[in-house]
Amino acid sequence: MFDRLRAFHRPATVAAALRLATAERRAGGRGAFVAGGTDLVVQGDGSLRWVVDLSLLPLRYVRRRGAGGGWTIGSTTTMADLERSAALRRFADGVLCDAAATAGSPQIRNRGTIGGNLANASPACDLAPPLLALDASAVIAGGAAGARKAAGGRRTVALERFFRGPGRPALNGGLLVEIVIPAPPVPRGGRAAWAFQKLGRLQSDIAVVNAAAGVIVGSDCRCRWARIAIGAAGPTPLRARRAEALLVGRPFDRDAAQAAAARAAGETRPVSDVRATADYRREMSRVLVGRALDECLERMGRDPWASW
Amino acid sequence: MSGASPPSPPSRRAVVGRRVRKVDGFKLVTGRTAFTDDIALPGLLVGRILASPHAHARIRDIDTRRAKALPGVHAVLTWKDVPRVPHTTAGQAWPEPSPYDTYLLDSKVRFVGDRVAAVAAETRAVAEEALRLIEVDWEVLPPVLDMEHAMDPGTAVIHDEPDATGIRDAARNLAGDIHTHIGDVEAGFRESDLILEREYRTPRQQHAMLEPHIVICWLDADNRLVIRTSTQIPFHVRRQVAMILRIPVSRIRVIKPRIGGGFGGKQEMVLEDLCAALTLASGRPVKLEYSRHEEFFMARTRHPQILRLRMGVKRDGTIVAHHMRVLAATGAYGSHCTTVQGNTGSKVLPLYRAPHLRFDCDVVYLTTPQAGAFRGYGCPQGYFAQESLVDEIAHELGMDPIAFRLKNAIRQGDVDELSAQLGEGKKGLPRTIRSCGLPECLEKGAAAIGWKEQRNGGVRRPGRLLRGVGVATTMQGSGIAGVDFAGAFLKANEDGSFNLQVGATDLGTGSDTVLAQIAAETLGVSLDKILIYSSDTDFTPFDVGAYASSTTIISGGAVKKAAEKVRDDMCCFAAQLLDAPPEDLVCRDNRVFAPGGKSVSMAEVAVHALYKEKTQVMEGASHFNTDSPPPFCATFAEVEVDTETGRVRPVHLVTAVDLGVAINPMQAEGQAEGAVAQGLGYALAEELVLDGRGRPANANFCDYKIFTAKDMPKLTTILVETEEPLGPFGAKSIAEVGINGVAPAVANAAFDATGLRFRRLPIRPDAVLAALGGRR
Ligand SMILES: Cc1cc2nc3c(=O)[nH]c(=O)nc-3n(C[C@H](O)[C@H](O)[C@H](O)COP(=O)(O)OP(=O)(O)OC[C@H]3O[C@@H](n4cnc5c(N)ncnc54)[C@H](O)[C@@H]3O)c2cc1C
Repeated sequence: MFDRLRAFHRPATVAAALRLATAERRAGGRGAFVAGGTDLVVQGDGSLRWVVDLSLLPLRYVRRRGAGGGWTIGSTTTMADLERSAALRRFADGVLCDAAATAGSPQIRNRGTIGGNLANASPACDLAPPLLALDASAVIAGGAAGARKAAGGRRTVALERFFRGPGRPALNGGLLVEIVIPAPPVPRGGRAAWAFQKLGRLQSDIAVVNAAAGVIVGSDCRCRWARIAIGAAGPTPLRARRAEALLVGRPFDRDAAQAAAARAAGETRPVSDVRATADYRREMSRVLVGRALDECLERMGRDPWASW
Repeated sequence: MSGASPPSPPSRRAVVGRRVRKVDGFKLVTGRTAFTDDIALPGLLVGRILASPHAHARIRDIDTRRAKALPGVHAVLTWKDVPRVPHTTAGQAWPEPSPYDTYLLDSKVRFVGDRVAAVAAETRAVAEEALRLIEVDWEVLPPVLDMEHAMDPGTAVIHDEPDATGIRDAARNLAGDIHTHIGDVEAGFRESDLILEREYRTPRQQHAMLEPHIVICWLDADNRLVIRTSTQIPFHVRRQVAMILRIPVSRIRVIKPRIGGGFGGKQEMVLEDLCAALTLASGRPVKLEYSRHEEFFMARTRHPQILRLRMGVKRDGTIVAHHMRVLAATGAYGSHCTTVQGNTGSKVLPLYRAPHLRFDCDVVYLTTPQAGAFRGYGCPQGYFAQESLVDEIAHELGMDPIAFRLKNAIRQGDVDELSAQLGEGKKGLPRTIRSCGLPECLEKGAAAIGWKEQRNGGVRRPGRLLRGVGVATTMQGSGIAGVDFAGAFLKANEDGSFNLQVGATDLGTGSDTVLAQIAAETLGVSLDKILIYSSDTDFTPFDVGAYASSTTIISGGAVKKAAEKVRDDMCCFAAQLLDAPPEDLVCRDNRVFAPGGKSVSMAEVAVHALYKEKTQVMEGASHFNTDSPPPFCATFAEVEVDTETGRVRPVHLVTAVDLGVAINPMQAEGQAEGAVAQGLGYALAEELVLDGRGRPANANFCDYKIFTAKDMPKLTTILVETEEPLGPFGAKSIAEVGINGVAPAVANAAFDATGLRFRRLPIRPDAVLAALGGRR
């Protein structure tokens, strides 16, 4: 399958990984970073001449970021790590754990990494919707654009701008170092909830559609902040900004949730393929966003006015 | 419902009827070398096939000079280099009832994936590079992809070669047809109070066995061709390869190691001819195997069908007439084309004892992947249609679907005359029902699913999740009457063990274990005393192979006969030691007992025979049946329909099956459960999709979805044992019957939940959603 492969590097530092990749690129020939290999190996690109394996880099971590309630997640952290992280389980209703737990099978989750999931830039990847609903950013080292920009060769890209198209991450040959999640802006007396929904054809499947929602309400139970993210319903995972806008400033209830779900479906740009038709995907976007928002509602307490 | 079956068989048996572990289980779970690929041969070359990118095209010219010049390439074959012998790849008893419309390599290709050329090289990379260097000058012809238009005037003719034989009407792309009847259906419809006519569609399903097709060939020290292959039909393969390569059968030895699953996909000579040709051309050992991607479209599939059924009944629920019309696609070649479709009629229609039955069927060629044998062999299609229609009629009449089935179902003592008209490629034999536990299957299955409590009644209630239950009743055969036969050979060793040599092929069914159990029980020895070996055409007797649910009843019948002869021989020698007449002796517990209780061990008898009497105790026997006793099955499904997503989720599947006597109940349950898993895929997920140019759109496990452990519902398997006079120890069969009822039971359950009928498989969420929307 990888008949042309002639070099397999296993560096121990990010700097060494970037150096090796740069040197290989100069020497000519196609190559790639590899983390868990669950996308790269399956894709089986026979033209690859070199591979830089990232599994020895010290990037397998889930850390709190300062005292504010934010997080950083190293790019080689596996899906299984996320699924089992007790700390993340308590953050944002465990939405990242829930999403990670739906990916593939235990074997895939033991190998597949968060960095690979995002860098592969599949519109259906399961970690993108929850991370979009958490306003996450990607920290990238090296690469054509990175060298010129920020100090130390690192730059931060909001996840929404990270996905440029199917299989087209905004990496420019750089290395995805970590994911940064800011502290959600929950006001005093307010409440927040997140939820993830995925629909496959069978239990173990790439998403036909997936969706995540995050909602913050103030002490007046009006929605202050809303995030709705949908995957497999366009060329990239997308934010349904008009649906979010529909929620903000209004009381968050079932009617608002259903209206937002309907509008979110209108913001999708799905395609028809062997997995599902575009119409079905659009309709399922509505259903899944509706379910995710309902779940948020449920998590905040059945009647948000009760505790007001 | 009264238990029509006789009392359970004797529990005195020591080995038969016991849940013994698989005889090859340890070796498999510890990863010992068992499979075709588990050998290392010095100088082994890798074979690769150049697959056609076109659905239909002629090769004007093909230039292999650059490929041949590539270092490391040892053979390049095109149609110019090999004999042209029309044949069928179907693994059937000679003379095969399938058309001879296939060639080792041809100057025409008939589907995307068809063989253009083959290469043997030192590595896979070199072989693939060589394929890229082959230059083909194509004359692209129009594809024929729609079975409903395959016979239209002006359609491209797929088999226009002059030397094919056995094709019904090549000019109309008609591979075969079947027209048969009993009584007069039109008269029957005139007598009917209610007539329903419905159309059903079934998909192209892939076997998805764990081990893809793989063959390793070499020339032994005597220059004989050795074919080590993952096949269900080693003896047919030997005959077919001899014919295709024009070499004597005596120059070929076929070795069948353990097979990693087949489901009918290996009841077919798929790669052996080409691998053998590459070995002969290169003089080197060659391995030829399909990748998983290739397996999906270059191997075989289930025949897709469009079925139109018309059934007439009396107001009291008596079925009077049933007319089944089938249009089926065999794909590019006609292997198994009329036999699979014959089964759709002959093993489905007679389940209900209507006086007027009619079966009309056309099987057309298409420029699509080739269909072939597949677990159920035509029955899953027919039963999906028939059991859906019967359910609808019962509903229309306001009858309980179980009561309707019991009223009409075939029963013990009945003779099915339709089977006499629809034999394998010729007139068949009538089927007499000597054992039938169907009423008990329905009774026990209904209790297990909670039929009375769980039924929703086919009305749409409000709510997001709707539940319902459904039932289907089905049958199959046990071997092909008057066609299937097998041999078995046994010899005694001095420690009281016995070598059992059979041509039968265990493809994961557990037949090695079942056959060893039959031998052990007959000989009165423990299972560990039977050393079973299957199969090698040089050393084991002939067996048609593992198909048609035949192994337990046919190969098992041969084993039982051989074991009885060996037991008699052992008793003769034991008689000398025990000083008692041989006919009074009894074999059990690895000993031979005289009437007074005096006994000698089998080992002592064997030593006596060998070293005193200078005799090797050894016997062989052959067996066949002139009837094919059907196993019966009642499948019940409980499903949950999500009205927002259209997903139909199976919640509980009950299989109550009359398999005769279960030689190994544990393995029998495994067969039933595996059939449910495959049947659920057929019902809800599996379909090989082709694009507008005939190219596969989902030839991988990411997009061709099969049911995994995570998807499986609760399973209940109930073995309803009956005593079948024609089977060894009363056994019939279990391997196929369980798949037939899954799709209709699921569809009927979905109806029960929603009030909607789904007549196209797989039942896709978008179709369900559209149907639900239409009713909103
Ligand atoms: C059977 C199966 C089931 C699957 N199911 C799912 C599923 O349900 N949901 C889902 O979302 N995914 C699924 N996947 C896809 C895959 O497992 C995930 O996308 C996984 O997270 C990829 O991570 P990886 O470490 O294996 O990536 P790799 O294969 O190692 O890499 C993927 C791509 O990202 C690049 N890359 C990796 N790490 C970096 C980095 N740090 N910086 C820059 N580039 C990088 C590589 O060069 C490559 O192009 C499945 C895959 C398989 C085989």
